[in-house]
Amino acid sequence: MSSKTDSIKPKTVRVFDLDDYEKLLKGIQIASCMITESHQIVDEQSVLKRLNALTINGASDGNCCSCCGVGPFETRAQQTAHYKHHWHTHNLKRKLFGKSALSLGQFNSRQDDSSVSGSDSETESTNSKPASDLFAAATRHCKAFFTNKAGQVYCVYRCILHHKKEDLSTDGEGYAWIERCQRLTIPGYQRWAVLMVSGGHFAGAIFSAAVPVVHKTHHSYVTRRGQGQAQSARDQHGNMPRSAGASLRRYNQAQFLEHVQEIIASWSEDLIGCSLVLYRAVGSTNQAALFGKNSPLKREDLRVRALPFPTRKPTYKEVKRVHDTVASIEVYETMELFQKALIAASGKTSKTTDSTVTKKPQKSPGKPIDRAKSRERIPRELPTQMMSSEDEGPCFIDSETPVGWIKALSEQSSKGILTNSRKDLLIDNNSISARSSCSEQGILEEKKTKKKKKKKPEEKQEKLKKIEVKIPANVKKMWKAISGNEQNSLETIIETWEGDLEEACNTQDPTDGNTALHKAAIAAKPDMVTQILTAGGDPCIKNHQLQTPYAATPHHDTRVAFRMFQANYPEKYNYNKSQIPGPLTPEMLEIEKEKKLQQKRAKRLREKEKQVEKNKTNHFLHLTDAQKVKAEMPRCFLCASNLPKVPFEYDSYKFCTVKCLQNHRNVRPLHKSA
Amino acid sequence: MAVRVQFENNNEVGVFSKLTNSYCLVAIGGSENFYSVFEAELSDTIPVVHASVAGCRIIGRMTVANKNGLLLPSSTTDTELQHIRNSLPDNVKVQRVEERLSALGNVIACNDYVALVHPDLDKDTEEILADTLNVEVFRQTVAGNVLVGSYTALSNRGGLLHPKTTIQDQDELSSLLQVPLVAGTVNRGSDVVGAGLVVNDWSAFCGMDTTSTEISVIESVFKLNDAKPSAITSTMRASLIDSMS
Repeated sequence: MSSKTDSIKPKTVRVFDLDDYEKLLKGIQIASCMITESHQIVDEQSVLKRLNALTINGASDGNCCSCCGVGPFETRAQQTAHYKHHWHTHNLKRKLFGKSALSLGQFNSRQDDSSVSGSDSETESTNSKPASDLFAAATRHCKAFFTNKAGQVYCVYRCILHHKKEDLSTDGEGYAWIERCQRLTIPGYQRWAVLMVSGGHFAGAIFSAAVPVVHKTHHSYVTRRGQGQAQSARDQHGNMPRSAGASLRRYNQAQFLEHVQEIIASWSEDLIGCSLVLYRAVGSTNQAALFGKNSPLKREDLRVRALPFPTRKPTYKEVKRVHDTVASIEVYETMELFQKALIAASGKTSKTTDSTVTKKPQKSPGKPIDRAKSRERIPRELPTQMMSSEDEGPCFIDSETPVGWIKALSEQSSKGILTNSRKDLLIDNNSISARSSCSEQGILEEKKTKKKKKKKPEEKQEKLKKIEVKIPANVKKMWKAISGNEQNSLETIIETWEGDLEEACNTQDPTDGNTALHKAAIAAKPDMVTQILTAGGDPCIKNHQLQTPYAATPHHDTRVAFRMFQANYPEKYNYNKSQIPGPLTPEMLEIEKEKKLQQKRAKRLREKEKQVEKNKTNHFLHLTDAQKVKAEMPRCFLCASNLPKVPFEYDSYKFCTVKCLQNHRNVRPLHKSA
Repeated sequence: MAVRVQFENNNEVGVFSKLTNSYCLVAIGGSENFYSVFEAELSDTIPVVHASVAGCRIIGRMTVANKNGLLLPSSTTDTELQHIRNSLPDNVKVQRVEERLSALGNVIACNDYVALVHPDLDKDTEEILADTLNVEVFRQTVAGNVLVGSYTALSNRGGLLHPKTTIQDQDELSSLLQVPLVAGTVNRGSDVVGAGLVVNDWSAFCGMDTTSTEISVIESVFKLNDAKPSAITSTMRASLIDSMS
């Protein structure tokens, strides 16, 4: 990777080095990759001309298919047949996905081995990127590209040429661009301001060419050191903390805002003279500091432009670096070199994964993390370059910046003003080649360990399999005895057992995971269960259905056997996991039996009473109304149920509910009842 | 003559209406002004019907129609279907289709003889389309767009395509459809010509924003100046059938 970047690494020229820059400008032209296709203009004249041409021979004679590269068709039938062919539909879809059309032969051969969806992912012709890709990469890039007479290609940050909202046309010759480039040589256009606000830090400077004219930095304590967030951001989440620190930070924030606004106001005359004001201020609070009330800066001002790459903490040093970076122009000697660099940049993501992979083995994997030390910074790849969206500066980055950055840093390091962490970064980026050789070894080692790791579980599995496969004959015999009916045979087997009886009892059947205890429980043999339990069968083992022997049994007596055993031998097993509800002694069993008997008796009594009641009601129903009136125990005259304390009645007939009364009354007309 | 019209201050008239040679559907519930513009222009030749589809007013984008038939998405309710059946001439076949791409008007562009459809349209829908509307169906894209219905306005006499359609594509399409086609815009530069314009063989309705240049392009490509309703069914049809066979 490093060797590749070395070969592509461009020369850097500052805009302020007038001699070099003017040399570059000779015969300047906008790079071909920047030139867009001119839009199809729909004007009346051309359309009418076209219509006239059309109407002369009716429908036009373009009877071919440019999508598939077929035609001209001889007959209408051929034409319609082609447009209805799968091949055409497939090619249409391929075209939509930006792939080249297939010939009929290719299509047929492909159809044989895969379905024809048109959207199948293929990795073909990835090496030769089409011009459209180059164009897409170039137009989205945060730099503009130019060529000159000497055949050099160079990139200039768009932000020093035009504001995002100024849409310089890239049609045709791109004179607008060239004019902007040439303008930079005029001294008045070299007066730039760089302002950065972030996290309570302010740094700003006004440069005339490469020389800083005025500069100022300011810092206030506004971010929460523990949590790492501005106090204002924390407050937006709702309940504002009322600690001393929080209120201090809030106060500082207000002060900071005021102070920065003061600084900018004091610079207002200098700022008017600037041809360019580059700023970085993410978030509303930071932007308020720059563009707040009475600020000489206006957001709508076309001179005011956001920085197109991420920056570090606002310091004077950083401001100088940013100014230097923005002013630098990367010069590639030939078009090929440039294209290679551009494509390499667009395909960078895949490479970064490679580099991270090579770095991994250096960390010793088993090493415990020392939290007392600050962690080593992993040099993460910055996000891919995109045209900046809004004022948020760091949402995109130019691919060349890391290189330029590192260069600037290396200069600093030679002067001995670099902190350790930065040095690490430098080393990471510069000595990848040196590392790659040793990292190869690392990779090999890692692979070995990986293999070992993989082997271990496999071995385990194999062992398990062996155990499962090899079930001793005597265990099988025991199982047979359990499934058989003879009580004595199991007893004799257990008595005459040679070897580890416990293990034999707990051997699981590979088919369903049942132990001997399970088998006995499922077969509903309480005696055998007790025998196996005494012999050492663990009641906590679960079969493949995750049932313990107790849960597996369908039989009440067997369940009682388990509970009795628990009562007799409470220490023998850990019954917590066996799902046995609790021990059961013979006394408890007696009590339970007694209870059941009582319940039965009570039930029988209740049934008897019911029967008597029924007989009575039947008897009552059969009486005539006159007899009912005379009856000793009056009931409802209609349904013969018991009457409430105050019955509903008409004429001396009594009823339990109004409904009964109504029904009774409806059956008997009034005159009769009287 | 192309007529400028607005639906409740909205210029996308193709969204709220559907015009064919034998009937016209107009969205229900808008101001009666919109309906009356259609009524004034068409009522002596074809029925103008208030309709809704699945309770929505965007009937132009949900349905596909020509003089032979009308296709509705599956979301159409039974009462709506019944109402439309009752209001349309008897020889118009009305059919509901189960289609994943339910905005049929966006994915299908058709005149009385041919239809361009979205490349991913269901096979069954294609068959129903061919049977109901009595058209020949071609899967195509217009200027790299799959939504052929949105970017095409088509009649038996001509067609207007997305403004970025290349000359080559225009030639191929017009040879395929057997009608002259041009690329153009409506509504002061809008490229969704299907939504900004409804057209049949003798009348056209476009959004209020449409410039006179655009109107003149529309009138010349759809040959509206010399067109009369009666001439369509006789002369045009004969010549078209002639050229297709």
